[in-house]
Amino acid sequence: MALNPSYEAIGKGFVQQYYAMFDDPAQRPNLINMYNTESSFMTFEGQQIQGAIKIMEKLNSLTFQKINRIITAIDSQPMFDGGVLINVLGRLQADDDPPHAFSQTFVLKPLANSFFCGHDIFRLGIHNTM
Amino acid sequence: MDYDYSLKFLALGNSAVGKTSFLYRYAEAGSGVAFNPSYHPTVGIDFKEKLVVYEPRDGKHIKVLLQLWDTAGQERFRSLTTTFYRESMGFFLLFDLTNEQSFLAVRNWLDQLRTHTYCEDPDIILCGNKSDLEAARVISEHNARELADKYGMVYLETSAATGQNVERAVDILLDRVMRRIDAAVDRALLPYDRSPSGLTKDDTVKKTTKSSCYC
Repeated sequence: MALNPSYEAIGKGFVQQYYAMFDDPAQRPNLINMYNTESSFMTFEGQQIQGAIKIMEKLNSLTFQKINRIITAIDSQPMFDGGVLINVLGRLQADDDPPHAFSQTFVLKPLANSFFCGHDIFRLGIHNTM
Repeated sequence: MDYDYSLKFLALGNSAVGKTSFLYRYAEAGSGVAFNPSYHPTVGIDFKEKLVVYEPRDGKHIKVLLQLWDTAGQERFRSLTTTFYRESMGFFLLFDLTNEQSFLAVRNWLDQLRTHTYCEDPDIILCGNKSDLEAARVISEHNARELADKYGMVYLETSAATGQNVERAVDILLDRVMRRIDAAVDRALLPYDRSPSGLTKDDTVKKTTKSSCYC
């Protein structure tokens, strides 16, 4: 496989689609289609999770309904297996809570003419000291 | 600003049990002056300040600046940042009387609290919140009181909506924390407690002496 020259557009497109689904409680269950049943990994606030079903259990356990999100930056790189590495920096607001900064990293793996999300790492930008 | 003590109190508990409404109700109602609500995004903590007068039985008037810390929703995603527990003298542990899950979670909150806080037996008020929703109640006062007794907490049924027991909860916590500080200061002034052997012999002195750093 070769480097995909459209990595930037793929990164931006994926991030838009992913958050449109994530942030709408009615569409959130469809996120399961983004992940592989066995080989997808998620690290959510340090918690290691593997496989689409476990990943969805985690996402469904989150107690908010609506999320408002502001994306500050999407940085992408092509990978030698044809995949795309994506890093997102942004802020989110769950329901009526105050906004929090977050960063999220995805690795898209090529699958036929499309991609699936092979790796997903999420952290809020919250620190232990002032 | 002119005050004698500055104290931090934290509100803990599952999301949607009413922590923010509880603190808001206290800050906006009753005696004292509330001011300076602010949000610290780096640590994900929301806080309000209120200047109150503490009157112990000996007729003194002690001005206390209360800082009321709130989690700002970070507990929906993660366990709380350790900043949240450190350096705070008193805790409100809230659950929702109409939500069993939030009551079952009280034990986990206690574990976390004891791991990160300044001593093993901090002052905690357990608040069964939303007491105005009597028809939807699923946790009996008896069960809640039993849990509170088991872990040495004070139990109150509160309502941020009507204000029931909100001020009382803060007053009780303030009283307990001020007594603890008083005891620590008194003991620290006694000459024999300064000797290393005095400290090692009496564990309670060691603990309370440590707490005096925060006054």
